[in-house]
Amino acid sequence: MIGSKGSLNADHCEKEKVVFKKITLEKLGDLVSALKEKGPLYAPVRDGKAVNFQKITKTADVTLDFYNTVFSPKFVFFPQTEDLIRYTLQKEGAQAEPVPIAASPSVILGVRPCDAKSFEIMDRHFLGAGIIDPYWKNRRDNTVVIGYAFDPAAPPDPADFYNTVGIHAADTEGSDVFMVRKDGELLLKGITKKGESLLKGLAVLDAASAQDEAFFDETIRKDRGVKTRFTEITDTAIAAKLVGSFEKQEIWEEMTASCIGCGTCTFVCPTCYCFDINDETLFRKGARKRFWDACMFTDFTLEASGHNPRPRIFQRYRQKVCHKYSYHVTKYGCISCVGCGRCTRSCPVNIDIFSIVEKVANL
Amino acid sequence: MQNPYIPMPVEVVNIVTEVDTNDIKTFRFAFVNKEDEERFQYLPGQFAELSILGKGESPIGIASSPTQKGYIEFTVQRVANLSGGIVTAALHDLEVGARMGVRGPLGNSWPIEYLEGKNVVVVGGGFAFTTLRSLIHYMLKEENRSRFGDINVIYGARTPGLLCYKEELAAWEKRKDIRMHVTVDKRDETWTGREGFVPTVCREIAPSAENSVAVICGPPVMIRFTLPVFFELGFSKENIYTSLEMRMKCGIGKCGRCNVGEKYVCKDGPVFSLAELDTLTREY
Amino acid sequence: MTNIKQIEENLKREAKRLLESKEVSVVLAYARGYDEHHPLPYAARTAGEVGNLIFNEYCTYNLARYLTKYPPKTKIAIAVKAADSRAVVQLIQEEKVKKEDLVILGIPFIGMKDPKTGEEIDQKTTCHMANPVLYDILLGEEIRDAGAGSPYDVLAELEAMDQAARWSFWEKEFSKCIRCFACRKACPMCYCDPCFMDASRPRWADKSPTADGNLMYHLTRFYHLAGRCIDCGECSRACPMDIPLHLFHKKMAKECETMFGQAAGMKIDDKPVMVNYGNQDSDEMLK
Repeated sequence: MIGSKGSLNADHCEKEKVVFKKITLEKLGDLVSALKEKGPLYAPVRDGKAVNFQKITKTADVTLDFYNTVFSPKFVFFPQTEDLIRYTLQKEGAQAEPVPIAASPSVILGVRPCDAKSFEIMDRHFLGAGIIDPYWKNRRDNTVVIGYAFDPAAPPDPADFYNTVGIHAADTEGSDVFMVRKDGELLLKGITKKGESLLKGLAVLDAASAQDEAFFDETIRKDRGVKTRFTEITDTAIAAKLVGSFEKQEIWEEMTASCIGCGTCTFVCPTCYCFDINDETLFRKGARKRFWDACMFTDFTLEASGHNPRPRIFQRYRQKVCHKYSYHVTKYGCISCVGCGRCTRSCPVNIDIFSIVEKVANL
Repeated sequence: MQNPYIPMPVEVVNIVTEVDTNDIKTFRFAFVNKEDEERFQYLPGQFAELSILGKGESPIGIASSPTQKGYIEFTVQRVANLSGGIVTAALHDLEVGARMGVRGPLGNSWPIEYLEGKNVVVVGGGFAFTTLRSLIHYMLKEENRSRFGDINVIYGARTPGLLCYKEELAAWEKRKDIRMHVTVDKRDETWTGREGFVPTVCREIAPSAENSVAVICGPPVMIRFTLPVFFELGFSKENIYTSLEMRMKCGIGKCGRCNVGEKYVCKDGPVFSLAELDTLTREY
Repeated sequence: MTNIKQIEENLKREAKRLLESKEVSVVLAYARGYDEHHPLPYAARTAGEVGNLIFNEYCTYNLARYLTKYPPKTKIAIAVKAADSRAVVQLIQEEKVKKEDLVILGIPFIGMKDPKTGEEIDQKTTCHMANPVLYDILLGEEIRDAGAGSPYDVLAELEAMDQAARWSFWEKEFSKCIRCFACRKACPMCYCDPCFMDASRPRWADKSPTADGNLMYHLTRFYHLAGRCIDCGECSRACPMDIPLHLFHKKMAKECETMFGQAAGMKIDDKPVMVNYGNQDSDEMLK
């Protein structure tokens, strides 16, 4: 289970000093405005058919009526594109300035429990091993995550399988504040010190009652009954199983035969972190950028010599599954997947990582 | 916090064209800032990202030895094709005095501590000799030489004109504390030395496996035919080391592309023993 | 219109026969995905695997994109709906596949639904035809009353815009592009290897999703597909950002049809319109 190694956020608050607040849904706009005053606010916004996290400019854009967003909120810490160095090319060389890592305190509102968990998994890669990634660290340190329980009465999306990786519909882990919806109200509870101090500073919130607290706890209890797709796997067992079946080319070819090799699954994924670094120049002005890359692309591993260790789609898909369910376990001690179902929902041909993992687990 | 993605400025202080095809050059860089030079503490076998703004970065093994103070050197082949080579092409167009960037040192090194007290067989092919040259310089340094046993070097190139570091090879030939076996696949009128492929020469020389470690770096085909020779000679997989190449970007184990199984070549490698490689997937 | 369950049965029967008789070595069709509403493209290689085949309203994928991935001379049976059959025809015209290597299993059907949204797609994103243009075996009765309307009806709104409005419409849409390349990868006609976007010498567009680079990518792709797009709408359905790529393709197709009197992938003997010259061709663009 992902939680078994414990959270990197050690500052869970003690029970007796719980900060517990509420606000009516009609006053959501006031809450959004108050949060926006503290710094950039990222929250779900409906755009056409899809709901996605966006940096909020208009208070009224925020919606809490959604199941989950098409894209994960990882971009708040790890934007799809960012400039590392900006330069002007001159005859005598380049005039260059590293881009300062700006990190004003910000808030993400409405993060589902599986996504909140994804941040902690990414922490292990960007912060927990070897060189610390300064971009991820600065934004992580300065951001308050307001988690948002799935509605216990609503059936989970058929693509979801977060139960399989030990996550439940109202897990508070990974959130600084956790939010539960109660009829016409939102209940907000401080989970970490960071979350508590945010709540304390929001005059727009009302104090919650003992009844509210009972409802909050009851929701979390009920949400444990929300059953997503499930298959019994343990981190180390599936990691070993994948290593053991690595050479079974025929099985991998069969499981991934319909994959078209686009990067959609990795781009919507909350735990995919692979990126590229490239210089992009226009009329002598340019930037060294880092931006999302995908292990599903042919040129991801293509060497300048022309050699490519993973020229075929089944190899790249196998890499993706092994990375999440095997290499990540060996390296960082947990599966790098939160079962949010995004990759499956967004796949142009409905390939389902859960089915593949399930199949491998039962080989 | 030092930002690991930002290169340190260096100046090109010397350029040597190594081969008669002119596509392999050794670049000597001096750090522009003294503190960067102090920060750049490395061992033979490590690499760095060479950075030219507007072109990008390219991971290149460090060809100089930390025992050589005041500069670092990189031997770079110009590769130019559809899929890459932008940085190496730009590098080859640079002249002495030009400024660019270096990010590193990156990766692990040849297993210096493990080599101590042992005989070392250095096997190199073509332009992949660069980090082996670093290792040889390191071991031959006066204060270091006694830490290592016998040193045998088997180095081959396709033609005499394709051998790198020709003056150094000649100087090493004259020394008593290192045995050089330089060979070419095909001799020409200038060449009075050995002719023959690296694996064949290894078999002829037949270095003893007793208390010995082989350090091998070269084109895949050379490695493929050389390894069986060392197995025959009785070298265990724990005592054969090689260096892997993969497409890399960040160089610090973050960008995710250079993995072989659970190892990132840029951070956990590029140097691996064959015993370690056996535990990894065969995707490289 | 033949009942969809009957079509599925016919598909299974023919697939079984073709594989058993070794007439083909693979049948490209559909299988159940993680649930019924999310089928997978599926390649059956043995009669035993035919049991996995399904056909329902959600089997939207244009399987022609897989044809070019098989080695030459592989004998393939492929299930095609109307637009998909045009892709096969276009690929034959472009000599990427040979008719003699194919057994085309035609599916006459109207009422396909997008697996992501459940919405009907035929009136919106596809070529709005009911019957395959080329087939060896038809898996249902030919549909005679396909209904009125043209595939270009959906362009009305765009065409009513002035140039500035159209430009800002597309600018906004392309700004959403994240470069996942799902459009390119789902497209049966995007078989270039390597794609110009993957070349680094020269690099035609920024690798990161910049506004300029996105424009370069999509406009170049649209032009590569001028006279070749068979209007299956797969690009738009594949796009996770809901960019209506098919509208641009449709507009190009319409222009092409007006200028040269030929729509892509309609007749096996046609020459691809952009490599063919006729005296009667429009010289509109030269004026």
